[in-house]
Amino acid sequence: MLIGIDVGGTHTDGVCIREGRVEAMAKVPTDHDNLLATISEVLRLILRDCKGAEIRTLNLSTTLSTNSIVTGHTEKVGMFVIPGPGINPQAYALGAQYHVLSGCVDHRGAVSAKVRPEHMKPMTARCREEGIRVYGVVGKFCTRNPEQEMAIAEALAPQADFVTQGHRVSESLNFGRRVSTVYYNAAVWRTFNTFADALEQSLKDLNIQADINIVKADGGTMPLKLAREIPVQSIFSGPAASVMGILSTAPQTEDALILDIGGTTTDMAVLLDGIPLLERDGISIGEHPTLVRALKVESIGIGGDSFISSRGGQLNVGPDRHGPCMAAGGPAPALMDAMNVLGHAAFGDRERSAKGIKEVAMAQGLSARECAEQAVHMAMSVLKRKVDAFLNAVNSRPVYTIQEILEDRTVKPKRILVIGGPAEAMVPLLEETFGLPVIAPRHAEVANAIGACLTRPTQSLVLTVDTSRGSFTVPGLGIHKPIKRTYTLDEAVHDATTMLRAELDRQGIPAEEGDIQVIQADAFNMVEGHYTIGRNIRVRCQMRPGVITTLEP
Amino acid sequence: MLTARNSLGIIFFPAFDWAISPTHPEREERLLYTQDQFREEGIFDIEGIREYRPLVATQKDILRPHFCFPNVQAVCTDSHLISAGGVIRAAQLVMEKERQRAFAVVRPPGHHAMRTVHGSRGFCNINIEAVMIEWIREHYGNLRVAVVDTDCHHGDGTQDIYWHDPDVLFISLHQDGRTLYPGTGFPSECGGPKAMGRTINVPMPPRTSDEGYLMTVERIVMPILEHFKPDLIINSAGQDNHFSDPITNMNFTAQGYARLTEMLKPDIAVLEGGYAIKGALPYVNLGISLALAGVDFSAVQEPELDREKIREQKSTMDYLSALCDQLPEVYFNPRPSDAVREGGYFVRRRSIYYDTDDITENQVERLKDCPHCPGLLIVESETADTPRCLGLHVPVQGCDMCSQEAEERFAKARQAGFAYAQLSDRVTKRYEYAK
Repeated sequence: MLIGIDVGGTHTDGVCIREGRVEAMAKVPTDHDNLLATISEVLRLILRDCKGAEIRTLNLSTTLSTNSIVTGHTEKVGMFVIPGPGINPQAYALGAQYHVLSGCVDHRGAVSAKVRPEHMKPMTARCREEGIRVYGVVGKFCTRNPEQEMAIAEALAPQADFVTQGHRVSESLNFGRRVSTVYYNAAVWRTFNTFADALEQSLKDLNIQADINIVKADGGTMPLKLAREIPVQSIFSGPAASVMGILSTAPQTEDALILDIGGTTTDMAVLLDGIPLLERDGISIGEHPTLVRALKVESIGIGGDSFISSRGGQLNVGPDRHGPCMAAGGPAPALMDAMNVLGHAAFGDRERSAKGIKEVAMAQGLSARECAEQAVHMAMSVLKRKVDAFLNAVNSRPVYTIQEILEDRTVKPKRILVIGGPAEAMVPLLEETFGLPVIAPRHAEVANAIGACLTRPTQSLVLTVDTSRGSFTVPGLGIHKPIKRTYTLDEAVHDATTMLRAELDRQGIPAEEGDIQVIQADAFNMVEGHYTIGRNIRVRCQMRPGVITTLEP
Repeated sequence: MLTARNSLGIIFFPAFDWAISPTHPEREERLLYTQDQFREEGIFDIEGIREYRPLVATQKDILRPHFCFPNVQAVCTDSHLISAGGVIRAAQLVMEKERQRAFAVVRPPGHHAMRTVHGSRGFCNINIEAVMIEWIREHYGNLRVAVVDTDCHHGDGTQDIYWHDPDVLFISLHQDGRTLYPGTGFPSECGGPKAMGRTINVPMPPRTSDEGYLMTVERIVMPILEHFKPDLIINSAGQDNHFSDPITNMNFTAQGYARLTEMLKPDIAVLEGGYAIKGALPYVNLGISLALAGVDFSAVQEPELDREKIREQKSTMDYLSALCDQLPEVYFNPRPSDAVREGGYFVRRRSIYYDTDDITENQVERLKDCPHCPGLLIVESETADTPRCLGLHVPVQGCDMCSQEAEERFAKARQAGFAYAQLSDRVTKRYEYAK
């Protein structure tokens, strides 16, 4: 039996799934001050309904890290950066102490200036005085050569409970993003680990011996043990859980659009050949872009509770929300009320809906029906416009080869999958607006928990080889070693996939043939003068995002 | 978070699947490390800097500035169409005011491609700047354009295309042609009879570094630009003046390029040459991009830079200073043209060598001495493989008489024994080959 729990901003949902069937589900309000109590309550409710079964895994999508960042409940971090020449490193300053060190690694991974740990003495002393116990170390191009980062981390070890190193949080290039990723990772480390300790203890008390995984924003999971090292990867996992939930209830093989219609907003995501599209670099935390891989999800300010008003003679829908819609006892008319009036929905107290819409209609000199029609029409055109802009942005993303330009593979949704409260009521409206078939999958109300439950672990690995320098680097595993000059791309692909498989094994993640996907395999001839001096090889492979099983129809 | 003072669009197209040959300087690897540097510096995270995908240029776009023989397909591959399309995209961003400035970091380059094209010269087949400028003039009218070519090699292709055009000012700063390919670009080359002083060549001695280069820009280029008052400034931003470039002898740095860009304030910059792909391009491209966007570039520096080692000798500075005194005269007081006139046409007879493709072209160029416009251009050209070619170009400022004459000559071209004939009439917008 598998358990999935999605801790959301308002509600926490849980499901347990056995042999492709949802056996139990639960929904409770989230208590952000005591997440563990919320989780225990959900567990109690779903286990009450399916006693005696052995729990194999418990997957958790939690707002813990996001919330502690958003509310500013984070720990003081001492940051040490090795920027070398380039953009002014002060642009990325974060943390209680932010120290810029000498030293430089260039784009090839060659050390062009030495880092001097002895210069750190006054800096480390200041950090000690401030009582800082967690640190972040980030070097420019550390993913090409992590030695300088490792040396600094070692120097900090005596005064640190935990040091986050840049090359361990992401294999991707982007120094500024890496600085913020490392900072947030260190800043939430203690909160996350305290929670993880308590969670493990409480499961032990309940006599549950399941593997615990944490859901990531890229639609995959990671084992709790790994999450303890890189807790920042657990941020913003909610939308990913929902998308993966849809993929397990209504698997797709073609391009599709996903809409998750909530009270205030609608989240949209796209599937390319049935696979969710990722953010190019990573998700942003407030003003700080990071390297945390995430599904590409964008919000539109239209939801079931979007406030309908008459402002200066103009009818207006959203993006504000003034509490729930009137049908649900709210104070002001909202989109859902208009849908009630038109008969698209039969939700809650329809008389209150009629009353609310009528008031706005009178101000406009319209009948209630006309007013409701206009409001719904406006909401639909906003959705359409935003979706078109989103697809347009996706389709104009840069590409780097002639073949890709000429192929011009654009995302063209063949259908829309819609979940969320008002989803079913909106199906005919969306069909009319977009001219596409619209599907509201089953269990849409707990799609997030189903997604959390069924999503598989993901992990990626990047191998960079420069045969002219004889260097072989896998930043994610902290490997930086010499290699023979005759090393080839075929060997690199073989080595990268083998290493990823071994790493997955080590973490106890089962990977079948075909689960490991090579997403980049390039070899560039390196020429100096008129002679080929070596090859620059880049291989990126990943455990594909996906679901363990799809639900029975 | 960093914010750009000027919004900037970057068209980054490394063509990772195209090379002239596996070990040629113009190969897949060329922009690999620039991409690494751009990514690691996160320049697309700077508020106001955005990355764009290139367009694909059409045959018509190519035929506006060029005569391609025997046809476009024979001299122009998909890579050239995309590189030119990238530059058109840059122009579109600026002209539609989506961005204040744009930088096309594309390959292959183009500034050695002349009006008549039989193949590749100096790694160039299609003059991507000219394709862009003519695209702009077709869609937005005849703007005054200044092209400042800061590639280390003389921009002989761009010079050729705008030789007779009084509305396009072409300034090339380059290593002295007596010491480097293509061996041209002397001050005496200063434009055709209808555009005297609209071509300015600034040959600089080998080992010129930041101080000398920037002085030259300040004292020669800036006053001329100020007087010419262009609607658009284009920078052909070759990066081979760099001290680490393997095929040139200059000592310019990434800081120097950034300061040059800051001074020049081009609306559109276009990557040209530059083959120190590891030691120069990543830093120079970064410096140019930051300077275009108006973001602090003071910490951009090559890791191996030793300023003392590359500083100019006094004799170099003295030479440059004398050049700075004399060269503005080429623009402000052009000497009378010594063009040869025969039967109402100015005539040039030339032999042009295409080093990359090993082709020799013999060419007779006739410019109609028209009282109403810069004049119809008639080019008769031949190579061993492609004999008897005729090109007819009516300029964008052209008059009805020139347009009519072009049409008559075009209609009779095959009858007159030409194997290939191309018309590019900017007035009637006819771009075609004789059947």
